[in-house]
Amino acid sequence: MTEAYTSVGKSFQRIDGVDKVTGSAKFATDLSFANMLHARLLRSPHAHAVVRHIDTSDAEKLNGVKAFATIFEVPKVIQYWFFLRNEKKKQQMFLCDNIVRFIGDPILAIAATDQEILENALALVKVEYEPLKAIHDPLDALKETGVTIHKQGNIAFKVKKEFGNINAGFETADVIVENTYHTSKQKHASIEPIGTCVADFQSNGRLTLYSSTQLPHWSQHYLAEIHGLSLNAVRVIKPYTGGAFGGRCGLIHGLEAMCSVLSRKTLRPVKMSFSRTEDFSATESRHPMTIRMKTGATKEGILVANEVDILSDTGAYGTHYIGVIADCLSTGVGLYKIPHYSFQGTVVYTNKSMSGALRGYGNPQMNFAQESQMDIIAQKINLDPMEFRLKNYRPAGEMDPVLNGMILSNGLEECLKKGAASSGWKEKRVRPPGHGPLKKGIGLSIMLHGTGAARALPDPGSATIMIHSDGTACLMTAAADEGQGSRTVLAQVASQILGIDFKDIRVSDTDTDITPLDCGTHGSRQAYCGGLAVRDAAVQAREKILVHAGNILKTKSNQLRIESGIIFDAFNLDNKISMKDLMQKIQIQDMGICAQIIGSASGIAPAMPGYYGAVFAEVEVNIRTGEVKVLRLTSAYDVGKAINPELVRGQIVGGGVMGIGFALTEGLLLDKGHIVNPGFSDYRLLRACDVPPVIPIIVESNEPTGPFGAKGIGEGAMVNVASAVANAIYHAVGVRLTDLCMTSEKILGELQKH
Amino acid sequence: MKTIRININGEWKKLKVNPQDRLIDTLRGQLGLTGTKEGCGEGECGACTINLNGKAVLACLILSVQTDESRILTIEGLQKGLELHPLQTAFLNESAVQCGFCTPGMIMAAHAFIRENPEPDMQMVKECLANNLCRCTGYEKPVKAVLAAACSMRETNHD
Ligand code: FES
Ligand code: FES
Repeated sequence: MTEAYTSVGKSFQRIDGVDKVTGSAKFATDLSFANMLHARLLRSPHAHAVVRHIDTSDAEKLNGVKAFATIFEVPKVIQYWFFLRNEKKKQQMFLCDNIVRFIGDPILAIAATDQEILENALALVKVEYEPLKAIHDPLDALKETGVTIHKQGNIAFKVKKEFGNINAGFETADVIVENTYHTSKQKHASIEPIGTCVADFQSNGRLTLYSSTQLPHWSQHYLAEIHGLSLNAVRVIKPYTGGAFGGRCGLIHGLEAMCSVLSRKTLRPVKMSFSRTEDFSATESRHPMTIRMKTGATKEGILVANEVDILSDTGAYGTHYIGVIADCLSTGVGLYKIPHYSFQGTVVYTNKSMSGALRGYGNPQMNFAQESQMDIIAQKINLDPMEFRLKNYRPAGEMDPVLNGMILSNGLEECLKKGAASSGWKEKRVRPPGHGPLKKGIGLSIMLHGTGAARALPDPGSATIMIHSDGTACLMTAAADEGQGSRTVLAQVASQILGIDFKDIRVSDTDTDITPLDCGTHGSRQAYCGGLAVRDAAVQAREKILVHAGNILKTKSNQLRIESGIIFDAFNLDNKISMKDLMQKIQIQDMGICAQIIGSASGIAPAMPGYYGAVFAEVEVNIRTGEVKVLRLTSAYDVGKAINPELVRGQIVGGGVMGIGFALTEGLLLDKGHIVNPGFSDYRLLRACDVPPVIPIIVESNEPTGPFGAKGIGEGAMVNVASAVANAIYHAVGVRLTDLCMTSEKILGELQKH
Repeated sequence: MKTIRININGEWKKLKVNPQDRLIDTLRGQLGLTGTKEGCGEGECGACTINLNGKAVLACLILSVQTDESRILTIEGLQKGLELHPLQTAFLNESAVQCGFCTPGMIMAAHAFIRENPEPDMQMVKECLANNLCRCTGYEKPVKAVLAAACSMRETNHD
């Protein structure tokens, strides 16, 4: 049973809070160095073209213009770190050629002494293009159109998996439902635009890069490859980051590579910052998908078969395209016990801005389709949607056939029950939708998301802790806090194990020269993977402390305890020493010892545990205008153990609101490859006056492999919001929306068909 | 180049600015006050909100020359020594900060707002913060923080 923890489970204030409320937190955009140059990109006006010639002669003549870098010489990253595993794969990570593949694709970068000169210089560059036919519709990428976006063809990846026997499965079904779903090109829309770095290539041949990346160490690897440098010649420092949500999960297209080449050419620090328009139109987005799904169940409400066929649009280049489609597979199969499951996924290139990682990876798309299907089936066999889920979800003790591991913790039932009670599910389900044009409804959906990627990718976690001579400590981790609060949570883990006050633990900045190799932030992994590494490093430091304490207190170290900075003998409470006195003694006073206490640990997490959640959405639909208002969201998530409950609630509420955006308002709109809403005026994020109450409920199932039982939360909180809203709209007005985002026009269109 | 005189966080300063310089660039560049953030440069996100003669304005939409003889307050001017302003304390206490990029703008919007509305209700605060985009928090906590700050400022007669 859980003992009374002193740090774990406490909602301590985040350790970076003061920096952030006072404006002293330095983000990448705030950095400036002596002798620094500024850089900007010239971007393609064509969706697809060969760049025949770049003439910079006029631009070169401008006073203050210092260097150029072009796509002829600077490679693009077109795979993710999965490809770092061997030399042959590594070669496939990079592409250097003379083709531009989307409107906004970088052609060259200029470094100059100020922005005004840059602007003039960019206007003077002459580029000779040979425009090529472009593919805008992912369906065209499957046809023989004579257009080839990449040498190897327009199909980036294909996957086919079958569990059981799908045809036999459908034969046992009494009800079969088949639909096709479409999802939108959602943008991260972090308030700090994606795409700022400062590259500082020094005269000693070493490169330092300041970049708000989620993957400091993998960025270091990519840059070492690009520049042909050893890893110890490349240092990546991550300053404060203004939100990431997957948008900084790797090098940013055209940013760090171009900028560092400019710095190498000038041996001066070079800063490049994308504008909001560049962020919206030329950095990665969510993969738009078309998902055909055929689902079968018996009349008793037992799921027997699910057939899934996905077409995923990765845009002009692929980075996360394999992982994203794999995530559709693992989350779809893992959530329910469906004996016969067939999954087919095809990822294609089109001449659009790239798709990549975005909170939830492929799960929000997959979940929208699958959870809509479940709702339709439940209704057809006249079963309460919650009962239907409870009958069919895959509980702890079952094998997960994709991850090939036993599910050790699953708090979904508790999520459903607590969420139902809090949202008033039972009463609201049978309540009439209301007279007049405003109709109310309530819908639910569930989800599973993996914590980390231990079984799929190189996913190391690591940490080092050193204890100072006054008994305070410094934790070094590359946990890449993007705002979610991982540094705070990891300090709590260290504090708990070391018996050192939370406020006495400082967490270092992420700096690849100091912090050991860590996979960074992705896949809701830091509390779990980072937490395990910190736990193990702290245990090691603690053991060292206790050996010294045992010598000084003349007792066996295994009967010593540490609480609130005091080390004492459990069998003789008066035999004690404070951490401070001990450290003073062994580090400074006793010259015969002069011991440093350093704990260090690294490794791969033993599992990729699923975390689970249930969302209940209550909506009001105006049948005259098609307008939908979410009245309340009740979001219950099983996070294993909430190391900092307030931070967990922050993720649930923030994710819930992002999920409502995905459901109702968000999506890039394209016209022949041209993004027509590249700003906040037309790409609509929810504002303070638009948001309903989001009620966060924390369920703790205690994951046995996790640090203090913890697993993930960050991504999951938005995964099943859109599906819950769609199901609620159906409950309110009886129309089924299969196309995200669910705008009032689409809803009105569906209502009029009725 | 034009010379302007502004009072920045309590101190009068003479600055040379170009007629086309935006206030946000003068603050962040010339004055090194990088607490004011640029999220869009188009007047849509509110990250650049500062107080100009007591009113909340967007520093990305104002030219520096327009601020001649004005009093400007930025996030850096709120703290007195190590003592935080009640708004800053409230944002910490209410967990209203995640990535923190929107935070200075929100706090400065709220600062001007509370001065004019010392006893706001939840709806008024939501409308005040509607000009400030936040992608992390879902707004609930920042709204609570502003309400809490208004309350504590009334009790302590803080401005
Ligand atoms: S930067 Fe001024 S409103 Fe966005
Ligand atoms: S806290 Fe990240 S944008 Fe508001």
